[in-house]
Amino acid sequence: MDFAFGEDHEVLRHSSRRFLGDRQSLSTLRPQLEDPEIFDRVGWREAAALGWTSMLIPGGYDGGSITDQPIIDLIVLAEELGRVLHPGPFVPTNVVADAIATWGTELQRRELLANIAQGELLAAWCMSGDGSIEGSECGVEATSRAGTFVLNGVARFVHGATVAGELLVLARCRSSLVHLIVPASTPGVAVRTQKTIDLTRRFGEVVFDGAAVSTARLIDADAEGVRGRAINLATVLQAAEAVGAADLLFHETVDYLKVRMQFGRTIGSFQAIKHRLADLLILLEGMRAATYYGALALNDGFEDVDAAVSTAGSFVGDGFSTLCGEALQLHGGIGFTWEHDVHLFLRRAIANKGLYGDPSWHRERLCAAAEAA
Amino acid sequence: MNVLVPEIPPDYDEYRAQLRAFIAARKPTLKGKQRSGLRVPDDADDVAALRAWVRALHDAGYRLARFSLEELDPYEQRILKHEVAAAGIPVVLGNPLVSGALKAFGTPDQQQRYLPPMSRGDHIWTQLFSEPNAGSDLSSLQTSAKLHGDTYVVNGQKVWSTWAQWSDYGYLLARTEPIAGPGGISAFVLDMRTQGVDVRPLREMTGTTDFNEVFLDDVRIPVENLIGVAGQGWVAAQTSLLTERESVGALSHGGKENGLVSLARHHRRRGRVALSDDSVRQAIGAFEARKRIGAALGHRVATKAAQRSTDVWDAPLTKIWFSELNLAIAEYALELQGPRGALVEGDPEAWDDGSWQDRFLYARALTIAGGSNEIMRNMIAERGLGLPKEPRGAATSS
Repeated sequence: MDFAFGEDHEVLRHSSRRFLGDRQSLSTLRPQLEDPEIFDRVGWREAAALGWTSMLIPGGYDGGSITDQPIIDLIVLAEELGRVLHPGPFVPTNVVADAIATWGTELQRRELLANIAQGELLAAWCMSGDGSIEGSECGVEATSRAGTFVLNGVARFVHGATVAGELLVLARCRSSLVHLIVPASTPGVAVRTQKTIDLTRRFGEVVFDGAAVSTARLIDADAEGVRGRAINLATVLQAAEAVGAADLLFHETVDYLKVRMQFGRTIGSFQAIKHRLADLLILLEGMRAATYYGALALNDGFEDVDAAVSTAGSFVGDGFSTLCGEALQLHGGIGFTWEHDVHLFLRRAIANKGLYGDPSWHRERLCAAAEAA
Repeated sequence: MNVLVPEIPPDYDEYRAQLRAFIAARKPTLKGKQRSGLRVPDDADDVAALRAWVRALHDAGYRLARFSLEELDPYEQRILKHEVAAAGIPVVLGNPLVSGALKAFGTPDQQQRYLPPMSRGDHIWTQLFSEPNAGSDLSSLQTSAKLHGDTYVVNGQKVWSTWAQWSDYGYLLARTEPIAGPGGISAFVLDMRTQGVDVRPLREMTGTTDFNEVFLDDVRIPVENLIGVAGQGWVAAQTSLLTERESVGALSHGGKENGLVSLARHHRRRGRVALSDDSVRQAIGAFEARKRIGAALGHRVATKAAQRSTDVWDAPLTKIWFSELNLAIAEYALELQGPRGALVEGDPEAWDDGSWQDRFLYARALTIAGGSNEIMRNMIAERGLGLPKEPRGAATSS
């Protein structure tokens, strides 16, 4: 039994933490919090050299994982990105890379994967019209016409849409669902940045107005299979980002309560506070165990993969926002100020809840799994 | 990274087959009802039958590592525990926490004298730790042991001693040194048949008797029954309590099957099958997540232990996780049964003869036993997170 990271993972963690601390820390984001764009393209290319977008891409296309468990590699990175509330489209770019690597045609792979691995190309995932992951909420219609698909409709809450070069679009074609890889520069594709509660990421509303894309850009695979895999991967990566963020915020809170004095003593010496911190640690360790197990189940193809991923999706979805809310409360008034970072974590957690399956979606999937067991 | 426990090699098939045949042939039939948790029989014939069963296992070579001074084959241990658990019959009698203390602090003579009979079911042990005024604050215990020549004379009162009514020996903590707190405490082996030992079974809220009060009135214990040296009792007890917390944390939730699903299939809510009600499905999904996380936490703790990177909070965290989830599931199970949730064992219409009701009542023990969950939270916060200790001192009275 070996439910822990190996040495290679620890090296990856440390090099990523150093890189992010030097170049892309939360304080470097501060001046851009209210800008419509918040992304450092040069930094992304440098980060690509650390493998951020190459783990799920085969070696033949400039990719490669550092161990034989690419999804474990990615959750190590995701935790580190979470600690700095990184704005980059790490989750969607890896989801799209994985879809192309797994189901793409040789042409698609050759055209796109190396660029993604090298950090030249970013990708976003247009899941639905309302940002949910229900296939029924697909908001884009595709009609095939003379070697092309013509797209009309809208996708919302598309993380990274404003910086992505390629979009993985779920569209309804007659009565079935299909996935297409659409260049963001296609005429008829327009992106509006949505103004959201999350200040450290940007989401786009992508409008397709007669956008024509070559049939060569069709992902020729069962749409449910592609969607299922993408949902599981996005859920686990987002959960790992949340675990990294929660870990940092929790320990920052503990440290603050060790020095904040009231009534002539540190407030961390009050049992009312200590027990709340103990409960938060239990929550954090539960989030961590759920995420690691979900990632492992997905990487190694466990039989109970959907239930394992949904354990993380439901528990981390709720736990992250609970933990951030508690951290804010325990900071007292200082936690309510703009200049303190705690609200940035809370904002991230609230936005996460609706993405890639809200906790209730995952709980329903868990109940269904328990029923079938 | 992996969480797969190594597959048991096929060479062990024969061991398993023989063990299964042995269990089928020798498993005792008990008069008493089998209940959830670590329960104690209330019938002397059942105790005798259990002793005979454990002795038969031992004599046939089926022995547990916790009582053995030699290394035992880990695959055989896994098969043994699994098969015996599947048969729904205990393989450990009493509360033999003392085995760890004897291994760590006992003399070779004590180890030889007590461990094999414990393994054989000949000696049943109880634990004499808590006192009416020393619960969470165990190190304030007042039972005294005064040395007269080569004998300690013990006076005091103990409580929450499981199996004491059937026990041959007790693992006793008493104050030998004239100092307050943990430094004055020593650990002893107490022969429960010694004059002055009075065991009074205690009926708990479950209606069953799993604990006892034990009164000690001028009980004489020979000095060679000290475990370790005088004043070392607290350290020995800490080692044992850690094992107890881990064992509470490791109590299974009943394998892969989710018992709530079956209840929700067979009960109705708002005029339809409860399992088709969204609020029920959400609750079951949430419990399923917490149950799965409990298992994953177990994997993590085991890995950390194997890598010698255990965190102070691992055992208390697992204990809290299990005991609070266990209670919440049992409470929800009663809710799922609707008004019928009030029916208990003995009523002809009680679901599964009231097993969930019993489990619910017994679940209240596990959030308190083995260190109350509040003490566990103190441990996590103080020893785990390095927050300042709770102030100690004389109680204020008004």
